[in-house]
Amino acid sequence: MKFADMGDLALIIPELILVGAALALILAARRIQNTPLVAAATVFAALAAALVSVWLLSDAPKTGFGIPPMITVDGYSQFFKVLIASALALTALLSTKRIEALQVRSAEYYALLLLASTGMMFAASALDLLTLYLGLELATLCSYILVGITVERPRSNEAAIKYFLLGSFASALLLYGIALAYGVTGATDISAVASSLTSSGPENNLILLAAIGLLAAGLAFKISAVPFHAWAPDAYQGASAPVAAFLATASKAAGLAALGRVCLVAFGLEARVLFAVLAVLSMFVGSIIALTQTDMKRLLAYSSISHAGYALLGFIAATRDGTEATMTYAFFYVFMTLGAFGVVIALGERGERLDGYHGLAVQRRGTAALMLLFLLSLSGIPPTAGFVAKFVVITSLLRTGHLALVLLAVLAVVCSVISAFVYLRVALLMYMKEPQEAEPSRCPPAVAAALVVAALVTVIGGLLPGSLMLWVVAP
Amino acid sequence: MTAYPILTVITFLPLLGAAVIMVIASERLARWIALATTLATLAVSVPLYLKFDKTPGAPALQFIDKYEDWIEIWNIDYELGVDGISLPFIFLASVLSVLCVGASWTAIRTRVPEFYAALLVAETAMIGLFAAANLFLFYIFWELMVVPIFLLIGVWGGPGRVYAAFKFLLFTLTGSVFMLVGMIALLLICETLDFRALAKETLEPGFQAWLFVAFLAAFAVKVPMFPVHTWLPDAHTEAPTAGSMILAGILLKMGAYGLLRVSLPILPQAVQLFLQPMLVISAIAIVYGAYVTLAQTDMKRLIAFSSVSHMGFVTLGIFTLNTSGVEGAILQMVNHGIISAALFLCVGIIYERTHSREIKDYGGVAKAAPAYCTFLALFCLASAGFPGLNSFVGEFLIISGAFQTTAWLGSMAIWGVALGTTYLAWLYYRVVMGKMNPGLAGLQLELNARELATLVPLAILALCLGLYPECVLSYLHVPVAELLPSGATP
Repeated sequence: MKFADMGDLALIIPELILVGAALALILAARRIQNTPLVAAATVFAALAAALVSVWLLSDAPKTGFGIPPMITVDGYSQFFKVLIASALALTALLSTKRIEALQVRSAEYYALLLLASTGMMFAASALDLLTLYLGLELATLCSYILVGITVERPRSNEAAIKYFLLGSFASALLLYGIALAYGVTGATDISAVASSLTSSGPENNLILLAAIGLLAAGLAFKISAVPFHAWAPDAYQGASAPVAAFLATASKAAGLAALGRVCLVAFGLEARVLFAVLAVLSMFVGSIIALTQTDMKRLLAYSSISHAGYALLGFIAATRDGTEATMTYAFFYVFMTLGAFGVVIALGERGERLDGYHGLAVQRRGTAALMLLFLLSLSGIPPTAGFVAKFVVITSLLRTGHLALVLLAVLAVVCSVISAFVYLRVALLMYMKEPQEAEPSRCPPAVAAALVVAALVTVIGGLLPGSLMLWVVAP
Repeated sequence: MTAYPILTVITFLPLLGAAVIMVIASERLARWIALATTLATLAVSVPLYLKFDKTPGAPALQFIDKYEDWIEIWNIDYELGVDGISLPFIFLASVLSVLCVGASWTAIRTRVPEFYAALLVAETAMIGLFAAANLFLFYIFWELMVVPIFLLIGVWGGPGRVYAAFKFLLFTLTGSVFMLVGMIALLLICETLDFRALAKETLEPGFQAWLFVAFLAAFAVKVPMFPVHTWLPDAHTEAPTAGSMILAGILLKMGAYGLLRVSLPILPQAVQLFLQPMLVISAIAIVYGAYVTLAQTDMKRLIAFSSVSHMGFVTLGIFTLNTSGVEGAILQMVNHGIISAALFLCVGIIYERTHSREIKDYGGVAKAAPAYCTFLALFCLASAGFPGLNSFVGEFLIISGAFQTTAWLGSMAIWGVALGTTYLAWLYYRVVMGKMNPGLAGLQLELNARELATLVPLAILALCLGLYPECVLSYLHVPVAELLPSGATP
């Protein structure tokens, strides 16, 4: 059996572009270390990968790499690839400010970002549990290093070690789940697992139930859903802000993509109760703990935990509509979160403390207005993209007509009141308090460009939600 | 009727003004730009009132601005339009916005550009809400309103502003998220959110009841109905004068407007089902609100609680479901918008000089500021329902509507009127009459030209509506007749 022919390689051109860029950066590291070229190359590689991802979709969905196939190119995978590539590009732009301050070797830093994104893209297009695992693992390994990349800062080391310990545990759970599923069904191919599930039914097979549980737990860790969230606040706080932004957005999008693929094909209805518990816990724990945070990165970490819960709601609906809702949610979430992190980065050290926002509106009117926009979007107030995201997931739940899911929707909207407090508290600090610190230094053009892009998506997504809907296609 | 999309223009002109203010970011210019924007909005809206067709055969919704398939997948259009019910509120919102700018001219000294930007965003939200022709737009403007008001209270408010702002946020957002769920449920069942299309649907009664509760959660908080009124005294008291004017003048009307726009036409059977509890709650709000008002020692708090009582009249009128009750309720909404804004303005004017809202710090103001006291007297009388002034007509219609339903409701309402006269007269007596409080000596209490210019339009409106209520009522006859279930007694 020919494992893969050259034609199959065409399916992974986006990934190849990113890997190529990463290798080129590492090879040329000595020459281009700490020049703007590194960030520019990363941004271009990300944009190229995104464009190719769209271009690959112009024909019908394709699969490749072996029989049964391991990689697919369909609307779902390409959607997430574009999303991951956009998050990469914006993170690369945002990194330009912090990278010099932290004295990190920039070529290696960007190469790691590129490799992590490659892994995420593989996870998004995987049709086989092992490919999925490998993709996620590549991403996670790079993330461990990225979190600890500022070796001089003890806090960064601590965060990396915590993240590594919990992360490897979660990877082990995931792998164990895959092994159990293989043991029962004799396949790692997701659709084969699914078909043997429908023939036997999981309720009378404890091992399969355990496999589903372990897989869900492993993937829940990747999207930092409660109770697998404990790493996120520490990792975000210890990491430099751009890395935290990358973890909160690209990593979470990839986790959702993987989760969606596994749920939709294999364990949709079985895992519903499990996911419902994860979602409710994430929404409430995330927003309630966020209320008490005084560190901005920790606050955004808890906010991202809460948003993971909202994003899961679409999968719980377990309909085509629901998957599209989660995709929409993931898309808008990535941009508004990158925007909020972007403001944190633009303000430098000051932006990482909550009291650093006192009187920001007096000193930096434009930055404060942008932050207000992102905060409103995160709290889901119209007419921002965050509202549309909330709207679609609630709609997908209500459309099922199940009483339990309607109650879940009500819980979700009640929780959004709590999260509004979290975000508007920051807004009030910016506008109400008198400034206590010197003006932040001027925002570099690259960071400003990233902020503008994030703001445009947040506004346009809110005013013309239909513009995105063309691209959101469930598999 | 007009060559350009007039409603879109008057809705988004203030937003444009806010953007200009934020870009220019000059303290001195911000006031002038805000004044120019609000005046321009008012001027542009004039053709609405002149050219509106009030004859019975005319289409209910006029001046429609439609952009089809705004969000095609949900079958939602962008559509603005006005009918006889929304028209008076658009007028009220645009007039009060001008006066709010005037009232804040010297009172606001910090973050001036941001203040006027927030005020103008609020104006967009208010006008947009009343012009919205579908529930989706209605919801968007409804939520958009929360943010500027939250900031107005939280940034420019009094000492307890943070608590008041978050309390306001908690109440209003909690209410409106249920409306969001209700709206999505309606969208899924009816596949449209257009008000006219929804009114034609006949929904299953059990579903109607759930929807009614979901929407009531949002509307009752904004009205505010008893017992979810407790955010109101804090918010009104701590807000800056302009914030209180918008809160009392427009924001409270949004809830009652929602009842008229959503609950009555779309959920008629649920309205019948919940009719008695709603009437009882309204009666409690009238009497309880009036007694609590009597006990207040803070002027702004006193007016705030009087709003609870007065809005009780409005909900009572709406749920009488007869022509005089509903028309009276709408008229009374307009009246209350004018009078409470005027009273808050009066308190704000004197507060700017004395920095006290406590009634006991006043007394004998009449000697120092006769013109001011004349206006205060006029508005207190208007609020108490003195014949010849605007509230009289509204309350009269509501009470006669209530007597048509059940006699005891009418009696409660009359009791509320009596108490209203008491607390207003007593307020006036304590502030204006008697010996001059020594603390006020040496203060320049009399009105200046700018303050006079903000009070005079409100006084003219109060007189006009009192002497010739038909100028509002004539717009209402057709839409109210359409609103009420057929066979209702006239």
